[in-house]
Amino acid sequence: MSESTLEKFVMPNSEICYWELHNNTSFWSQAFISKLGYDISQIDINLEFFLSKIIHKNHASTFRDNFYNLVRHDVHFKQNILLLNSKGDYEEFICKTNEELTLSLKPNAKAIYFFKAKIKTHPKVKDDYYYLETASMTSTGSWYIDFENKRSYWDQITRKILDYPEDFIPSLRMALTLYAKEHHAIATNAFLNCAISGTPFDLEIIMIKSTNKRFWARAIGKPVYNEGREIIGMRGVFQNIDSVKTKEINLKRTSEIVASQNSRLFNFAHIVSHNLRSHSSNLELIVQYIESIDNPAEQLMMLSTIKEVSSSLNKTIGHLNEVVTIQTNCQQHKEDVSISATLDQVCKSIGQIITTNNVTINTDFKAGDIVSYIPAYMESIILNILTNAIKYKHPDRDPIINFKTSLNYRNNDRLILEISDNGIGIDLDKFGDKIFGMYKTFHLNKDAVGIGLFITKNQIESLNGEILVDSEVNKGTVFTIKF
Amino acid sequence: MNNKIKVACIIDDDNIYVNLVKKIIETKKLCDNLLVFKDGKDGIDYFEALLQNLNQKGIPEIILLDINMPIMDGWEFIERFTKIQNKFDKRITLYVVSSSINVTDIDKAKSLSTVQNYLVKPVNIDDLEAVFSRTA
Repeated sequence: MSESTLEKFVMPNSEICYWELHNNTSFWSQAFISKLGYDISQIDINLEFFLSKIIHKNHASTFRDNFYNLVRHDVHFKQNILLLNSKGDYEEFICKTNEELTLSLKPNAKAIYFFKAKIKTHPKVKDDYYYLETASMTSTGSWYIDFENKRSYWDQITRKILDYPEDFIPSLRMALTLYAKEHHAIATNAFLNCAISGTPFDLEIIMIKSTNKRFWARAIGKPVYNEGREIIGMRGVFQNIDSVKTKEINLKRTSEIVASQNSRLFNFAHIVSHNLRSHSSNLELIVQYIESIDNPAEQLMMLSTIKEVSSSLNKTIGHLNEVVTIQTNCQQHKEDVSISATLDQVCKSIGQIITTNNVTINTDFKAGDIVSYIPAYMESIILNILTNAIKYKHPDRDPIINFKTSLNYRNNDRLILEISDNGIGIDLDKFGDKIFGMYKTFHLNKDAVGIGLFITKNQIESLNGEILVDSEVNKGTVFTIKF
Repeated sequence: MNNKIKVACIIDDDNIYVNLVKKIIETKKLCDNLLVFKDGKDGIDYFEALLQNLNQKGIPEIILLDINMPIMDGWEFIERFTKIQNKFDKRITLYVVSSSINVTDIDKAKSLSTVQNYLVKPVNIDDLEAVFSRTA
């Protein structure tokens, strides 16, 4: 018998029935032994004896699984069990682990407590009835995989959740087809870890019904041990949580949209204050200057400066207006817009620039060409990126601009447009976060205003899209637009 | 004023502001010579070239530096300038003059030892006179 810290220091002469488990040894409290009417000489203190001689055979395997899960993976449990007393009758006990009852044990020691059940549990028939009701009302089906016979078993609710006929016999080979492709790795990992090292799992995963319909499920599994402590199978449940999960995802999406709108508004407020400030501060300085000089001729000369300020103030307000229009326009009517047709139209309107700069445009719209979009935005986006690519062409080579669409691998509804050029590129380490900012220019070009990409980004985001940039100095720039 | 500032330097991309300050400096005779650079790159190029060919007359006593500029912004200028600052045998005082009222910008500027002070645009004429006389 191993020494028990619990008995020695915490509860001497305790009436509590418990086991203390530490470093592969277990200690049974005196109360546990005597409550069942045994004498220490009649029993062996080990799990095998308990499983074969004391616990009811219907409860033995579940207890064994619970026991190993506690010892190896710290999974706590509570189980109702029947234990054989010295008179040959079964008494009902509730066993619990020290998650709920925290007593100071040796470090790493674990305890299992046994309490005499006060109330008789319902007869087995009723028990099954409640179990089935619970399972069907919560759409929770259970399953079992038997490694020794290489078979798997489903209950009727699992069949119902997965939309298989009532007489369907599952096979191990089909296991992976139950999960969505993008979750194959997660499922494989969880099941292998459980099968090999006995790690229980509890995941939210997309499963596939026999009808190919996808749904969110909660999959829980834990290993099943034999008497030799080997893992001989796995059991667990699938619960259909599609409606809850879908709501969660929608909620998350909505909150992301709100957050991005909020950050755009914040950004906009910042831009407004910053860009208007520079003009107002110039005006203020002019007025001060006029007041500080006495020469009327010179004072009059300052009028031209005021004119200058007011015209650039006007320009800024025009730009800000453009942005405001975008924010309100996103409710505007969307139509099916052809990217290739829009590109043709844009090319025609800037034909002069394209010919004088010797621009080559390659297109590949095999993956898709039509997007439901605001036509004016599509035109403005393509025009902006195209003219940028030409404006910032490499001095040593003629511009080549490629337009290519592809589909989002996660969500086939979402079209992606990639526009790449062979221009001078931009140092993203230096300017990365600023490239889409307002009035940010990075090159010495005289006609750089720093409004184009800012507008483009706003237009795309107002329609819940995304624009990303990748670039290498002297190689070129790639813009990726997710519509 | 016998030790009046001889050379001052403005690094700013806002033409209107630069012209105004120029005028004020001329009218108030705040300094003899004013250097103007349109962005940090032009500015730092000048100072780095100055090191090769130390011409006392070309070294400004004060720099008025904007933050938001194309190509090289004020922060990068400060970073590069800090490295060479001590090689000049004249004290060069640097002021950040920006229309940004962003607290992070202001705190950042004030935390840099190279920066004497952060002035928020609009600067008024009194501010300018103070700046020009403090170093004098």
